[in-house]
Amino acid sequence: MSSSSLPVDNLSGLGGRLAAARDRLTWPALRHAAIRSGWWVGVYLLALVIFGAFVLTRGVDPISMYLSMWHQTITNTYGFGQVIDKMAPFALAGLAVVVPARAGLVNIGGEGQLVIGATAAGGVSIALGTHLTGWAAIVLMALGGMAGGAAWAGIAALLKLAGNVNEAIATLLLNYVAFDVLSYLVYGPWINPAGNGQPVSKPLPSSDYLPTVASVQANIGILFAVAAAVAVILALRNTRWGFALRAVGGNREAARRAGLKVPMLLLSAMLVGGALAGLGGMVQYAGVEGQLVPGVAATFGYTGFLASWLGRHQPAKVLAAAFLLAAIAVSGNALQLSSGLPGEAVNILLGVVLLVVLAQRPRPRAA
Amino acid sequence: MLGTILGSNTLLVTVLAGAVAGGTSILYAALGEVIAERSGVINVGTEGTMLVGCLAAFVVDVETGHAWLGVLAAAFAGAGLAAVHAFMVVYRGASQLATGLALLFLALGITSLYGENYVSSNITGFLSYKVPLLGSIPVLGPMLFDHDPLVYVSYGLAPATWWFLFRSRWGLLIRTAGERPEALRAYGISPASVRSAAVMLGGAFAGVGGAQLSTALTLTWSEDMTAGRGFIAVALVIFAGWNPLRAVVGAYLFGGAIQLGAVLQVHGYQINQFVLDALPYVLTLAVLAVLERRQNQFAPEALGQNL
Repeated sequence: MSSSSLPVDNLSGLGGRLAAARDRLTWPALRHAAIRSGWWVGVYLLALVIFGAFVLTRGVDPISMYLSMWHQTITNTYGFGQVIDKMAPFALAGLAVVVPARAGLVNIGGEGQLVIGATAAGGVSIALGTHLTGWAAIVLMALGGMAGGAAWAGIAALLKLAGNVNEAIATLLLNYVAFDVLSYLVYGPWINPAGNGQPVSKPLPSSDYLPTVASVQANIGILFAVAAAVAVILALRNTRWGFALRAVGGNREAARRAGLKVPMLLLSAMLVGGALAGLGGMVQYAGVEGQLVPGVAATFGYTGFLASWLGRHQPAKVLAAAFLLAAIAVSGNALQLSSGLPGEAVNILLGVVLLVVLAQRPRPRAA
Repeated sequence: MLGTILGSNTLLVTVLAGAVAGGTSILYAALGEVIAERSGVINVGTEGTMLVGCLAAFVVDVETGHAWLGVLAAAFAGAGLAAVHAFMVVYRGASQLATGLALLFLALGITSLYGENYVSSNITGFLSYKVPLLGSIPVLGPMLFDHDPLVYVSYGLAPATWWFLFRSRWGLLIRTAGERPEALRAYGISPASVRSAAVMLGGAFAGVGGAQLSTALTLTWSEDMTAGRGFIAVALVIFAGWNPLRAVVGAYLFGGAIQLGAVLQVHGYQINQFVLDALPYVLTLAVLAVLERRQNQFAPEALGQNL
């Protein structure tokens, strides 16, 4: 980082920001930025090369594979709509990692929180039946999903606070329990009587689906994700709560001595994280699936975890990372259609993208 | 009466024998993770390491007909994936948890890319071998001495791992890397090399655990067949207080929880399938909640901290 950008943090107001922007527009700074962007392009290209080498071993031409992946996701309206649809739960699951991380907690439970969120949204929908439809149902499902996700994260938080159980391990194990809860419900009490004995819940009435924007063929779930990202940015940057979380994440003992209620802050960070993932589950349920099935939204939460690290726990970057990972995930369909490889093989690319990015040593922060 | 309780086909004996057979894959992975964590590195990618071990062993068994060759392949595959983890966290300073999760995705993708043609393949795999005399002891015989060879190997491996960690020079280096890496450096040994070796050795163990799962226990290959066993192994290491011998108890406990569902159903007990499926995870959490405060004192001092 060039020294000219050092005082930025201390300047405030529009004038200060303009001055900072002017300082950045010097030739050395521009050259530095160009080298840096070039470097990152190289990093992502490396990921493509590595995955290309993998598919090459199965006799598939990587170049034509990448072209078809590109065509079926980015330049194809239907595929692009799918990417946007997937980006929303990925981003929300990523934000579910960001908020606890600010307080120094590792939430690997976005997976389970998302599933319970979808399950709770499905439960709300079943309970409502045809009494309430449209926006009222959507709002209630969203609240139900958030409550479900928060409750699931709350279990891990309580285990942490009462039993001192490592929250990374607790959230991880609860993911499996979440899928068992879902399976129990759709094989048992919530099974669709008209479903020929298949383990599916009653389909969501078409009036209660998240509305679709025709021009992009995507549902409005992405707006939930963007709104959530903005809310998280504002809450972490501008509220007393956000400041306290950062203090707890920085030095828990110092925060305690400064009079902060550390247990409540940790609990609140996990609950908010869980609620975000739960909202992601609701978006997937009410926007795409419309039905609960065993294993619904599997690996979405883990992908959100990748997105959060890819975006270095910064909400805006997490959104961008969620878009990238959603594009990769959707391109798995293209992989299957055009190359005859299993669609899950794109998991290699998901993993490798994060690995090549994590392999870049974090730069020392300017003091 | 005694015969119905202690005979070879009773519920108790079936559950106990299933606990050992089903817990063995977790035991291998947990022993490997104990070694890695004693050196200071957490590898939640163990789930993925086991998975590549499952596939490597199965594929080699299908192609060559030699089950032991499959185990060797699984050990190398596990060590190979763990080497990526070691490179990332030891030499690139990457987050241990995030790298582990990325490795899980890598393993999911690799095993689906190379495993799709083997989903319906058949193997002979490892057969169970009843030890003469010992195998005829009531209860203990079927529980401990009527299993596949990888189970017998694990009986030796747990004490061997304990000896290796606490009585050998190598073990001392590994434990120092996990407690005081700077002391190791002062001693003229690179903690990075020691950690890398420990992580790869742990990966080899987890790979063999996967081999037991696919070529001895189930004799099948299916996608994502580890179903959280690797994560349980990571949790188990805390439960075991980073001690290989105590990992044995834990692994069989959780192996038993996994097997209980199948056994109860065979015997006609009507317990909800999904309650039983959730049991190993809930049990792990409950045990951790009860023990964790006491267990934490055993944690290696520099666990999770990059060099």
